[in-house]
Amino acid sequence: MPRLALTIVVAALTLVLGGEPATVRGQALSGEYKIGVLEPLTGPLAFEGKRHLEGLEIVRDLINERGGVMGKRLAFSVADATDPTAAASEANRLITREGVKIITGTFSSRLCGAASEVAARHNVIYWESSCVDPRFNKRGLQHVYRTEIDATGFGWYNVEFIAKHLAPRLNLKPNQLKIAFLSEDSSYGQGVTESARQRAKAEFGMQEVTLEYYNWQTLNDMTPTILKMKQLNPDVVHHIGFGNDAVLFWRQSKEQNFLFKALVHAGATGYGGADFGKALGNDANGVFALLEPGPGFRLESLRPEGQQIERAFRDAVQKRTGSYPFGGHQLAGSGLWLLKLVLDRAQSDAPEKFRAAVMALDLPVGSVINGWGVKFSELGQNANERVQHYMLQWQNGQLVTVWPEEFTTLRAKWIPLGPWDQRK
Amino acid sequence: MDPARPLGPAQIDVLAQLAVATVLLGGIYALVSVGLTLIFGIMRVVNFAHGEFLMLGMYLAFWAFSLWALDPYFVLFVSIPVFFVVGLVTYALVMRGVIHASHNVQIFTTVGLSTVLQNVALVAWSGDFRFVRPWHLSTVLRAGGTIFNLTQVVAFLIAVALTAALVAFMRWTHAGRVMRATAQDRDAATLMGIDTDRVYRLSFAIGIAAVGSAGVLVAPLYSVYPTAGLQFVLLSYVVVVLGGLGDMLGAMLGSLIVAAVEVAGSYLFGAAWKEIFYFLLFILVLVFRPAGLFGQRGAETLGV
Amino acid sequence: MDSLLRSRGGALVVFGLAAVTPLVVRDAYFLDSLVLILLWGALSAAWNVAGGYAGQVSIGHASFFGIGAYAAALMVTRFGRGPWLGMLVGVVISIGAGFVIGFLSNRLKGPYFALSTIAFSQVLLIGVSRWRGFTAGGEGIPVPFRPGFATLGLGHAGWVYMALAAALLCYAVEVYLERSRVGYQLAGVREDEDAAEALGIPTRRLKVFAVTLSAALTSICGSLWAQYIGFVDPTYVFSVDLSVRFALNAIIGGMGTALGPYLGSILITSLETYLRATFSGVKTGFAGIYLIIYGTALILVVRFVPDGLAGIAARLRTRRAHA
Repeated sequence: MPRLALTIVVAALTLVLGGEPATVRGQALSGEYKIGVLEPLTGPLAFEGKRHLEGLEIVRDLINERGGVMGKRLAFSVADATDPTAAASEANRLITREGVKIITGTFSSRLCGAASEVAARHNVIYWESSCVDPRFNKRGLQHVYRTEIDATGFGWYNVEFIAKHLAPRLNLKPNQLKIAFLSEDSSYGQGVTESARQRAKAEFGMQEVTLEYYNWQTLNDMTPTILKMKQLNPDVVHHIGFGNDAVLFWRQSKEQNFLFKALVHAGATGYGGADFGKALGNDANGVFALLEPGPGFRLESLRPEGQQIERAFRDAVQKRTGSYPFGGHQLAGSGLWLLKLVLDRAQSDAPEKFRAAVMALDLPVGSVINGWGVKFSELGQNANERVQHYMLQWQNGQLVTVWPEEFTTLRAKWIPLGPWDQRK
Repeated sequence: MDPARPLGPAQIDVLAQLAVATVLLGGIYALVSVGLTLIFGIMRVVNFAHGEFLMLGMYLAFWAFSLWALDPYFVLFVSIPVFFVVGLVTYALVMRGVIHASHNVQIFTTVGLSTVLQNVALVAWSGDFRFVRPWHLSTVLRAGGTIFNLTQVVAFLIAVALTAALVAFMRWTHAGRVMRATAQDRDAATLMGIDTDRVYRLSFAIGIAAVGSAGVLVAPLYSVYPTAGLQFVLLSYVVVVLGGLGDMLGAMLGSLIVAAVEVAGSYLFGAAWKEIFYFLLFILVLVFRPAGLFGQRGAETLGV
Repeated sequence: MDSLLRSRGGALVVFGLAAVTPLVVRDAYFLDSLVLILLWGALSAAWNVAGGYAGQVSIGHASFFGIGAYAAALMVTRFGRGPWLGMLVGVVISIGAGFVIGFLSNRLKGPYFALSTIAFSQVLLIGVSRWRGFTAGGEGIPVPFRPGFATLGLGHAGWVYMALAAALLCYAVEVYLERSRVGYQLAGVREDEDAAEALGIPTRRLKVFAVTLSAALTSICGSLWAQYIGFVDPTYVFSVDLSVRFALNAIIGGMGTALGPYLGSILITSLETYLRATFSGVKTGFAGIYLIIYGTALILVVRFVPDGLAGIAARLRTRRAHA
């Protein structure tokens, strides 16, 4: 028995050591600078993780065409974060075995929380580009930064659009608007919905007619919910969907002839994903989704340096994927570009110097990819007002930019959404 | 909704629509579960990979549609023999070796199978959501104030036909009788000269054919992605247990009950709670009538 | 002493090595992997108490894990007290939940029992996700890291010893079950419940005892995990995947043996970590290959080594004795 146990332990040790010398593979001296990339590449979030990785790779190539970072070629060490334990473990590996000093990622709140804890404990910089957990920056962790706004910001923008743009076009005052909240039940949906609810009620006095959550992975039929909502007669439906559920709701609403004046969503999943258009074609017309800029976006509305990089980014995405950038590309890519700007300024990955450069960065809206600006708070959060978000609308199979109007040549149509078969 | 309000025409419409939703949803659940009740009922194997075969059926429909523009209803006929063969192969490669092993070994074998299938799909076809959009997808029938989605209606009818066919098969063919005998008592069946290995192989293959073709049928209604099986697997088990193992008719009825609980639960309490209701129902049935609402009392202890 | 060495030699080697490692190895990833091996091992040993020793195979032990994780996280974030108190509360609640599962085990057998445990864990998952006011719902709970023993804010070496302590605790319970009267009775229940009943053994009470003990141990490990990883997400801590993992290690290592779960954990955790590290960085399109390998390995091991690794050892030993 001891012999067997010994054998097993030794075999396991060998495996974990990775069959390679157990020395830290530090930064290669061949002119390469490596950062860690942590994304969900397997499991139910794989479809978005893959897109984020794509966006990162594309911008990495753009960066390397423009001189790399700190005089070296930017390279990635990629790790798969399927669940919180894996995220923490892989973060550990990236830091300890790959010797990275900066980790970027991670798409989902359940992953970024665990991985950033690990990074903080090792004094490694965590550069988050996408997870929306509002508490991410408020845990007292050092060297944790987020380039994208959090769920509160999403809710804020959505309600801004509803109150300032939709309400007037519907000839209603915001406090006369009846709004129904529907959402998938994960951290993402809950975060955005709750913050939207709060702002809608507290600041504008909108009338909330219902609040419904559901599990997007086990949802098979939305008819009962739709029947309930039909009777409550909302003007606006605020629906945060994740995938299949968005298609199901929209399709079944049409079947049941559920008429409402507008549907607003936020984010690159569900209504904001390419799959929604592929599933429904022109039937998707009219849905609003808060996202990064899409077709119609006026490059001229950006500052010159912003125009340059945005154009290069779009061309590169088009070349690699054959289409306009998706939300996942845009979030990950812009996060990486901002990282480059910081590193250009700091010329170092020493956490204190890095932090100083981050805090010193102050660019107005229109300066970088997506027409964003940048200004980080003390807590490492990029400011709401700088991270310009846009409302896109499905028009004839494409998600096009319609708001704010100064940024786009296209305009929102079908306000209010008329009968289902008349939205051409 | 004020329950004290008398039922006006609007409420009746709603009730009618809810009833229709229940029946149609029940049809889909029946389609998905009928194969499982066969496998679980006869082989007493908890097949964790059940949802994955459904997913494979969905991908079959997707690829046939996008590569060759074949309508899912056509692919359905092809999928039955295809998945029958898939079932035979899976049995030979994976299941046969563990048929006489303990339940745990069987469970974990199918867990491994589930992981493998999910990730083969992920690697081969990526995690993107795919859609099958045949021309008839948005067609609805209207009767009075009530709406019927045509694709769902067809799925329901096929579920009924499939259940009926399997019931007939089990009751009136020799093979079916042999399968039922083996389900009742494996050892006695062997003593009677029944080749239990063949019985299991046939049951498994038929079960997989059923669930694979179910995947083809439901593909237009839902998105197709590697973890799509998760949507249905747990509730299939609820259906199977409710209906009684190996009881096709019970599976049909169990599906309707689960659908009813879901629809009523969603309507009255909100969609977030719908699963809790059928899981609680599941636990209650297990505690008070483990043979299922329609099964023979004590049947659940046989072969376990 | 000599027989102790011979019969427990394997355990001495495994735990001894684990205890010595932080003194020689500084590599944080290695230590982190060791913590996970020990923690998953402890959780599997806890599962083994109910599954291997009492024969009640549950695929819902994540229920207790989640309760422990949430208890610790909530005690720290919502009530401002320490995680140790949370652990205690978690144990109490898990024992309550254990009574429910124990009750189920007395009414259901085999796959039915397994399915009912899955349903139970899913009911908890949904309930916790919806109880936003108390548990922060689907958003989960980030658990703050505050250095110190009372707050379980330990360094890597500290965590190895903490996980080792949990592993030893669960191991000790297993050994106790192997050597005590209660354990013998439990073995009787496992092998042939009717015969045991006929002999006057209180089978029903014993099964509940085993399940609640198993629940308490699982909960303790869940509380530790919450402090170690720092983020409690309901869709993960109550997931069927986790429940399967606990059972898996024990089965592969050898159900009903004390060291089996740890052997299983060593093999599976190492395999998974190694495969993920090696394959996930490969071209975008190939993420998932390591899981295919993992799943295939699982099927093969379960098929060809059903007694588990400890079973191989036993067979080798008998062969040697006869040689």
